[in-house]
Amino acid sequence: MIGRSGNLRIAIEALRSSKWRSLLTMLGIIIGVVSVVTTVSLGEGAKRGVISQIEQSGADLITVRPGITENNDNKTSGLVGSNYNGTLSNRDLEVIRKVPGAYSVVPFSYVANTASQEDVIFNKGLVIGTTGGLPQVLGQKMQYGTFFKEDEPQRDTAVIGQRVAEQLFGENVPIGKFMTIRGKQFMVQGIFEEFDTSALVPGTDYNYAIFVQYDTGKELTGDSDIYQILVRPKKDVGSSVLAADITKALQKSHANQEDFTVLEQKDKLAEANNLLTLMTGFVASIAGISLVVGGIGILNIMLVAVTERTHEIGIRKAIGATNKQILNQFMTEAVILSSVGGVIGIIMSLLTNYLFRIFTDLTPILTWPIMAIAFGVSVLVGIIFGVTPALTAARKRPIDALRYE
Amino acid sequence: MPIIELTEVSKLYGFGDATAVALDEVSLTVESGEFVAVMGPSGSGKSTLMNIIGLLDRPTHGNYKLNGRKVERLRPSRQAKARRDTIGFVFQSFNLLPKLNVLDNVALPLTYKGMGRVKRQKRASEILDRVGLADREYFMPRQLSGGQTQRVAIARALINNPNIIIADEPTGNLDSASSRLVMELLSDVHKAGNTILMVTHNPELTRYASRVVFMHDGVIVADEQSTIGEVHQSLRRSMYFMPKTTEEDDLAGVSALMQAIPEKLTGKKKAAKDKKKPKNAKTKYKAGANAKKRGKKS
Repeated sequence: MIGRSGNLRIAIEALRSSKWRSLLTMLGIIIGVVSVVTTVSLGEGAKRGVISQIEQSGADLITVRPGITENNDNKTSGLVGSNYNGTLSNRDLEVIRKVPGAYSVVPFSYVANTASQEDVIFNKGLVIGTTGGLPQVLGQKMQYGTFFKEDEPQRDTAVIGQRVAEQLFGENVPIGKFMTIRGKQFMVQGIFEEFDTSALVPGTDYNYAIFVQYDTGKELTGDSDIYQILVRPKKDVGSSVLAADITKALQKSHANQEDFTVLEQKDKLAEANNLLTLMTGFVASIAGISLVVGGIGILNIMLVAVTERTHEIGIRKAIGATNKQILNQFMTEAVILSSVGGVIGIIMSLLTNYLFRIFTDLTPILTWPIMAIAFGVSVLVGIIFGVTPALTAARKRPIDALRYE
Repeated sequence: MPIIELTEVSKLYGFGDATAVALDEVSLTVESGEFVAVMGPSGSGKSTLMNIIGLLDRPTHGNYKLNGRKVERLRPSRQAKARRDTIGFVFQSFNLLPKLNVLDNVALPLTYKGMGRVKRQKRASEILDRVGLADREYFMPRQLSGGQTQRVAIARALINNPNIIIADEPTGNLDSASSRLVMELLSDVHKAGNTILMVTHNPELTRYASRVVFMHDGVIVADEQSTIGEVHQSLRRSMYFMPKTTEEDDLAGVSALMQAIPEKLTGKKKAAKDKKKPKNAKTKYKAGANAKKRGKKS
C-alpha cells in the first residue's frame, strides 16, 4: 500500500501542513480507544480479582445448598435463602460427612443479622452458625485469636470479620470484648484476616460476618435449617467426583428427590467469568460508539481534504497517476490518522490505568493482546471510513479535477 | 504510422437545448516529429482538442488512435499509464505541486512508475540540468519566477521521455524574455525528435512550428505546413500591424513596442482584418507592459 510511491511521505506532509485539523480528527479516535481500552482493562482486572479470590478460597470447594432452580442464573446467587424450595438438615450433614471423599464438612446456619455492643448496632452483616473446620475449608487464616476447635464444648464466643471489628467495636483487636446477639452475650475470641473481595464477586462478604458455634446458633434460633454446607475433598479426590458422590448420597437420603444443589467452585468461576465478560462486553460496546464517531470524524475531514485537493489530484492524474495510486494516497492518509490516533489512545490508556490504580481500589489490567486489538481496530476504522473519500478522489475525472480551483 | 490519429471526433457539453459543441467532427493526423501550433480564438475548441489528445478527457463521438491503438478501448488505468509514459503536459498555469520542492515535482511522474527515490531524484537532477535549473533543485515552486517555473514544468514533462509534448499556451503567463527561453527549450525538445502540440495566441511563436492548425467554433478551418524559423505566411499579413521586433526587443519583451500603437487603432484594425485573433492584441499589450515594469525595476 505504501510501497515505493512515497505515499507515506506525501500523507505525513499533508497531515503536517494542517496540524490542528489532524490533531482534532485524531482526538475522536483517541477518545474512542481510551474509553474502550480502559473499560476492557477494568473488566479484565475485575475478572482476575474474582478468579484469584475464588481460587484462594479453594478451587476444589464444594457448596451444597437447599432447593433447586432450573434457572442457572440463580445458582450462584450468594443471597441467603434466595431459593428455599427444599431443606438441608442435620441428617444431610451426617450423610455428607459419611461420603468417603469428603475431608472436611462445614455447615452454615443463619442465626441473626444484628449484633449490638453498648449502643452500637451492627446490622450490615450476618451472624452465622458454623463448626471448627471453617478456616481450613475457606483457606483463611486468623489474624488475632483462634477459631473454634472441632468437638469443643459449647461456649458463648464469636469469631468476627475485620469490618465487624471496625464498625461494631471501633478498634482492630476487640478480643475479649462482648456483644449482644438475640439478647445473649458473646465474647470475641478471634478475628479473621481480611477476606479478599471485590464488588463484582457474587457471594457473601465474610468481612462482615460474625461466626458463632453451630450448636449455639441452633439453640439461639431453635431452628435446624442449614442454608449451605461447604465440603472440601481429600487431597487425591477430584472435586467433580466428590460432587457426584454427594449428589448421589443426598438423593438416596431424600428418597430420590433432587431438592438441593451441589455447586463446584469452578461453576462459580465460570459463572462469574461469564457475567463479567458480558458486562465488560456491554460497556465496551457502548464505549465503542465513540470509536465510530471518531471514524466519522475521519470520514468528514478526508472528504474535505479530497475536495480541497481536487486540483492536486488533477495534476497527479495528468502526469500519470492511476486511480489506484490516488486511492492509496488518500487511504494512507486516513489510516495514518486513525493509527496514530490509536497509538496515542493506547498510551493515554496506560496513563489512565495508572491513575485508576493510584486513586481508586480498581486494578485495571492492560495486556498486550488488548493493546494489539485496540491498534488493529483503529487501523480498521481508518480503512473503513477512509474508503469513501479515497474512492471519491480516485474516481474524479482528470480534466474536471484539473480545472477545479 | 501516424502517432496521433483523430477521426471525426466530437465533444459535446450539456443536454438537449443546452448542448454546446466544443469539437465538431474534427479529424487530425499528426506524424511523429511534428511541431504543431494550434491557433484560434478563445472557445474555438483548442484546449478541448488538447485534452482529448492528452487523454485527460474523452470524446463524445469519434475515434482516437494513439500510437495506432484505439484509446476508447483502454481502461482508465491504461490511460493513466499512457499519460505517464507517452505524453508530457505543459500548462499555461504551470500546475506544479506547491508543497513539493522542484526536484520532487520533476521526479513525480517517476514516482508513479514505481522507481526508487534515489534513482528518480538522480534522473530529475539530470533533466533540471538540461533546462538550466540545476541550482534550483531544492527551491519551492513559489520561490521561482514564472519562466523558471515553466521550465521546471517542462522538465517534469520530459522526465519520462514521452513521445508527445502537449503544451497549452505555455507562454501565456510569461513575459517575452521568459517566453523566448521556454520556446527555445521546446524547440530543442522538438529537434531531439519529440512530437509537440502547442496551443498559442501569439503568431510570433509559429516561427518554431512545422505545421499550423487554425480552429474556429470547434472546427479546423485551416491546416498548413510552415517553415521552421519563419512566421507562418498567412499570419504575416496580421504581422504588418505589429511592430518589427529586433533581438533587443525580444530581450525587452517581444511586444514592448505594442505600447507605441494606440490601443483603439490596433483593436479596430485587428477586428476588421483578422477575425481569428481578437484577443491577441490585448494579451500582447499586457505582456509588453509587464516587461516594461520588470525593466524599470531592474
